[in-house]
Amino acid sequence: MPGIDECLLEAMRLPGARGAALVDWTSGLALGAVGEFPGGDHEAAAAEAAEVARLTAEQRAFAPDGYDRPGGHDGPGGAGGPEGGVADPPVEDLIISNRDSYHVLRFVPTSFDSSVFLHVWLARPDGNLALARIRLGEMAGRLVLG
Amino acid sequence: MTAVRTPPQGTTPPPRLPVREKSAARERGSGLSPMLTRLAAERATGVLERERGSLYLAEGRVVHAESPLAPGLDVLLLAHGTLTPAGWQDARERADEEYGVARLLLDAGRVPRGALELCHLEAVYDAAYFALTPSSTPGRFRYGAGHWLGPLRPVPVEAVERETLRRRELLHRLWPDPLTDGAPLRRSETVAAPAPTARQSAVLAAVDGVRTAPDIARELGRQAFHTLVDVRRLAAAGLLTALFPPPRPHRPPPPALPFRAGATAERAVGPAAPDPAPPPGITLPRVNDPDITLLKRLRDALEAL
Repeated sequence: MPGIDECLLEAMRLPGARGAALVDWTSGLALGAVGEFPGGDHEAAAAEAAEVARLTAEQRAFAPDGYDRPGGHDGPGGAGGPEGGVADPPVEDLIISNRDSYHVLRFVPTSFDSSVFLHVWLARPDGNLALARIRLGEMAGRLVLG
Repeated sequence: MTAVRTPPQGTTPPPRLPVREKSAARERGSGLSPMLTRLAAERATGVLERERGSLYLAEGRVVHAESPLAPGLDVLLLAHGTLTPAGWQDARERADEEYGVARLLLDAGRVPRGALELCHLEAVYDAAYFALTPSSTPGRFRYGAGHWLGPLRPVPVEAVERETLRRRELLHRLWPDPLTDGAPLRRSETVAAPAPTARQSAVLAAVDGVRTAPDIARELGRQAFHTLVDVRRLAAAGLLTALFPPPRPHRPPPPALPFRAGATAERAVGPAAPDPAPPPGITLPRVNDPDITLLKRLRDALEAL
């Protein structure tokens, strides 16, 4: 069963991978990081990526149909069933590209309350977005489901 | 004339406005706890007990943290059924020096390693944030003390200190009044407030005029710091306020206020007399008055510029 480090090392095996991190998007904390990051500072990169991830996760426009009612019935003011707090992010992933690289942010659903995503930085010449999306989805599942 | 006057004797003194301890935070610099820095340097093993929580060290690295203000790993894992109470209890009972609870849970396959590491790290940083708040009493280190959880994924002390400072700054940037961190919260009426996010709605639904942010975190099985972030954002949006003043303990009656010539019954709004603890028998006015709340928010926003 992979831990955080094994998961990040696996992400580093993606073609063109330069850096990989597991980041909390509420606090901006990097829970783990391997490889290099833009600006040479993985903590600063994590805080910036977290801000983008948070905005994406909070915008209703990007949520799938019917997401507003997690676990069903109770809206705000209801008793707040336990399902309401489980981390089932409205967004699967977020892709940012620039002239020389790609960033793929993959939200990690967990059975406990959390707000984390996997962040992978890929060099553009070797990076393969389709492959990265698929692999990161698998890794996110394995990280928390075993 | 708009001169500020102290109220004459016998009238209700104006409520003292909360004062932020900016200078204190600045003086403190990055050294959150000199003792912790020293313990890290000497690669100590044991537990550092501070006023608002404990940090467990193994060879100078943080292996665990606990605080009464932050929900523990058990709360986070049990709240949403990641782990069954029976499974947790079983591991707690069988844990000994050699096999900590973490290892027992992993070996029994009750929780995946990634999930446990993730949840534990979050819990450690969460509790450390509170444990490292400035305290009025000195910390105490007990050498050799271990934790029943056992080693999982140790974190360097500097990383915990840096993150704690960053979290303080983050909260301050969101909403500079720390009152909402520990006081009972109540919802407030406001016009044209932004719609709360799904996570904020859950927090808002638990606000009932009695619960504090840490209470709500426990209720939701959510990290306390995450709740503080949502609460400060909601406060900034005007959707909730702290109950102020919080119920305060009884104090001896204050010395008589110095008499000032020309004082009239006019209500003074401004720098209050030094610590106007209410005279016995007089209840403080409700300071959750929308006008005062608005003025405070305006002041905070101006100061934050």
